Amino acid sequence: MKKGLKLTDILVTIIIALLFGIIYKLWGPLYGVVSTFGLQIEQLIYGMWFIAAIVAYLIIRKPGVALLAEVAAAQGEFIFGGEWGVVTLVFGLGQGLAAELIFAAFRYKRSDMFIACLAGVASAFASIGIDYYYGYVADLAIWNLLIMFGARVIGAILISGIFAYLIVQALEKTGVTNLVRPASSEDYKALN
Amino acid sequence: MTTIASITNMRLKFPGVESLLFKDFSLSLNKGEKVLILGPSGSGKSTLLQVLTGLVPDAVEIPMKAEEKIIPESWGFLFQDPDTQFCMPYVDEEIAFVLENLQTPREQMESSIHYYLHQVGLTFDNIHTKIQTLSGGMKQRLAIASVLALEPEVLFLDEPTAMLDPKGTQSVWDTLKDIGKDKTVVIVEHKIEQIVDFVDRIILLNENGEIIADGSKRKIFDQYKHVLIEQGIWYPGVWDEYIQVNRKEFPISNKVNEKPNLHLAEFAGYREKSKKIDVKEADAYPGEWITVLGPNGAGKSTLLLGLMNLIKTKGSYYILDQNHRKIKNFSDYVSFVFQNPEFQFITNTVFDEVAYSIQLEDWSEEQVLTRVNQLLNLYQLEAHKQKHPYQLSMGQKRRLSFAAAIIKEQPILLLDEPTFGQDAKNTFAILEQLERLRLQGTTVIMVTHDLQIVNHFATKVWYISNGKLVEECSASNYTKNNQKQPAMS
Amino acid sequence: MQMDFSYKVTWLHKINPSLKFIIIIILFIHLLMIHNINFIINYMLGMTILYLFFTGHPWKRLLIISIPFILIFLTSSTSMIFFGKGEITWIKWGLVHITEESFFRGLHLGFRGIIFATLGIIFALTTRPVYLFYSLMQQLKLKPKYAYSFMAAVRLIPIMIEETQTLHYALKVRGVQNHKGFVGFYKKLKSYSIPMLSQSIRKAYRIAIAMEAKRFSDTVNRTYYYQLGFSKFDMIFMFYFVIMILVSYYAAINHPYFSILDVRDNG
Ligand SMILES: Nc1ncnc2c1ncn2[C@@H]1O[C@H](COP(=O)(O)OP(=O)(O)OP(=O)(O)O)[C@@H](O)[C@H]1O
Ligand SMILES: Nc1ncnc2c1ncn2[C@@H]1O[C@H](COP(=O)(O)OP(=O)(O)OP(=O)(O)O)[C@@H](O)[C@H]1O
Ligand SMILES: [Mg+2]
Ligand SMILES: [Mg+2]
Repeated sequence: MKKGLKLTDILVTIIIALLFGIIYKLWGPLYGVVSTFGLQIEQLIYGMWFIAAIVAYLIIRKPGVALLAEVAAAQGEFIFGGEWGVVTLVFGLGQGLAAELIFAAFRYKRSDMFIACLAGVASAFASIGIDYYYGYVADLAIWNLLIMFGARVIGAILISGIFAYLIVQALEKTGVTNLVRPASSEDYKALN
Repeated sequence: MTTIASITNMRLKFPGVESLLFKDFSLSLNKGEKVLILGPSGSGKSTLLQVLTGLVPDAVEIPMKAEEKIIPESWGFLFQDPDTQFCMPYVDEEIAFVLENLQTPREQMESSIHYYLHQVGLTFDNIHTKIQTLSGGMKQRLAIASVLALEPEVLFLDEPTAMLDPKGTQSVWDTLKDIGKDKTVVIVEHKIEQIVDFVDRIILLNENGEIIADGSKRKIFDQYKHVLIEQGIWYPGVWDEYIQVNRKEFPISNKVNEKPNLHLAEFAGYREKSKKIDVKEADAYPGEWITVLGPNGAGKSTLLLGLMNLIKTKGSYYILDQNHRKIKNFSDYVSFVFQNPEFQFITNTVFDEVAYSIQLEDWSEEQVLTRVNQLLNLYQLEAHKQKHPYQLSMGQKRRLSFAAAIIKEQPILLLDEPTFGQDAKNTFAILEQLERLRLQGTTVIMVTHDLQIVNHFATKVWYISNGKLVEECSASNYTKNNQKQPAMS
Repeated sequence: MQMDFSYKVTWLHKINPSLKFIIIIILFIHLLMIHNINFIINYMLGMTILYLFFTGHPWKRLLIISIPFILIFLTSSTSMIFFGKGEITWIKWGLVHITEESFFRGLHLGFRGIIFATLGIIFALTTRPVYLFYSLMQQLKLKPKYAYSFMAAVRLIPIMIEETQTLHYALKVRGVQNHKGFVGFYKKLKSYSIPMLSQSIRKAYRIAIAMEAKRFSDTVNRTYYYQLGFSKFDMIFMFYFVIMILVSYYAAINHPYFSILDVRDNG
């Protein structure tokens, strides 16, 4: 295979990312409304912010796509005037990298629900890591901190793992994924 | 003669589709030729153009192989859909994108942009104009301008006038003929009246993607007419022959003291708070076939959307004597075919798409199966019934949306340019179907740019201009009054 | 998104986008190192001036955009205020335990959140995406492949939003029935999101093909229609922050609002 991503791969990844960028942007106020109580329930919906990387990877299945998608989605959220400003980019980079590492660890061979959940959890850990430096989270009461981590991981599994996987499954039925995935060798064999 | 593009023994197949689209296909084009590729809808014309330019398989990965192929050194491609060929938001930036690709020095760019815009007859007060504010015809010209900026040796044109009114079509073709004079030009088009005098070679494809004839224009029209008829392809004079063979008479609606299916008074439709269509008073009776005519952007689609109760409307609108605001399920009375077939499919296979509305009713499984298969057969879609609607060719998509719309046989049928991009056979199949429905009492309201349909099928004309219904007359009167003007064909 | 609205071009619009971007990142890092709540309050005022007076957008729009700021403030501060660690208890009520330390730490986080938001929105309101990506290619050597993909995708977004309308029409025309409750919500979500995604991918794919048909390639020596350089406005921008930071710091030391100097637990 040729090295790097083709223009079609990049453009498709970025459009997916930007669509999720809009959702990320809208997710901000929603997250805000849910979280005014301080009880960390909002963490359950935090997983939405990991979804771009995973959906894009499950569609295109090439190296680099997950990272690109998450960074582009964060960039999108940023240029659409997202509430967290450049912070978003730092999170995007960390979360995208984490998901990418998971896919790389399986040599970009797997694209099932399990791997999607795993990538989601990895992104959740990355985001928690960044929060550690950024959000004074260590200064929270321990029980509160544990709820926060737990809820974020569960949300990641539900939204960026299972839900992302279901979206892509539904997309496969529309035949659109055929456009961006390499054709199978059977198809080439049929030419002879 | 030098060969400028050729392909030998090409085989191509779409991923996941059983059969090959092309099998041992060979073709060679000479420098300076004006070639027209004709073939029924779905025969592979659009795909072929992409192969000849190397877009397949370089940019689009479709499994294919060929013993030998020559790709022209510089070529330009005009696609059907104007919206998906631009990558920048403003007119100047779009042409600049091409100039940047060719590494034109920055200082020359502005004058080049003006030059190419001038060549296609586009003038702006400020070239920094948003592409989204242009009409379809202007967009298509801009696309031509950016193709010209490539200074291509070969022009590939895939139905470049889709979605344009007769005037826009005429002027785009005039532009293309003018700039294509000393280039090699390859055209795919169904409606060929305006270009037959321009081309000198015609290649005929059949529904299996095989070349069945290849030669000079004269030879094809003289010797292969039976093939054209058999394959259902447009050629000059199809309509006359159709009228003769079918001994078609001028349609008359048989309305006697009947109540209108649809009544409008002081009716207005809004787009983003501004009034885009205005109708003083109009009626549509059972058994009438109304064609809605008017230039691009006049408000024809807006009228239909208003009639379908999809946009904000004011005034009174009665369907079968019921106030439209009181009707709960509009889709029980009115059916609709969108102008753009994309984005209206709501299921995952061609079969389900057609079956959808009758599956909501209580038809038995068997009844559904028979009815759907009958329609698929009629519109040559049976081979594709397991495909996703989006995987069809342009013409196939339109036929599919048509079939899905008529299956339930609602009393009112609204259609927005359903015969565009269709080969002759399918156009007549659609028109005949509509005529059958009309004779059963359906009211057909159809937007079209094709005056032949007005002449031979419609009973009435609504002419829209500048957001107003300005003329309502019988089709025969309209035809008489407009015969002097050289319209289409 | 500012491209859909009219606005007055101010000096903030004329700053080199890459530079603007880098400065914002530097400010971000700097902000992370500030733990003095007085300093951060002054900092926030300095930012608000830029936002209110120099973005060139009308007042009403600026006000509407800033509504979520309140939300940001709340999200960034509440859990810290209610559940943070601390010694000097103010209120204890069930799980809620507000201490002086946690209260100020929460406030600090809230203000910081607002500053990030303001900076981000100033950037969004005063930077045309097209210029940003040209500048990223020219000053920061972003590969054209990525830059043009971004620009094309940004152009597609409003088109896609318009198409949701068509999709909405299509569902109505075909008599799709609405279900109630969670199932209905899920069905609705699916019937919009899947076609949207699939259509966008198709469109992006076609645009990519059209771009290649226009001989786009990823070479380094392409010429540019827009050449983005530097100007005196870049200097003004940098000076603004230098002066603002110095003044804020000076004021925070000499005229503090609160006696707390470091909001960290162990500080
Ligand atoms: N992505 C795809 N996957 C599977 N089949 C496809 C795909 N795209 C096109 N086809 C099929 O390939 C055939 C040729 O399509 P093509 O678009 O080249 O036809 P065409 O001759 O241009 O037709 P039209 O005149 O209707 O535009 C059609 O039968 C179509 O259904
Ligand atoms: N979604 C929209 N929002 C706002 N204005 C619109 C929208 N769609 C169309 N218009 C405007 O409404 C007017 C009528 O458009 P309409 O699509 O009804 O024209 P039409 O007669 O169908 O043209 P065509 O022959 O190109 O299909 C035009 O001025 C157009 O710019
Ligand atoms: Mg075609
Ligand atoms: Mg229209």
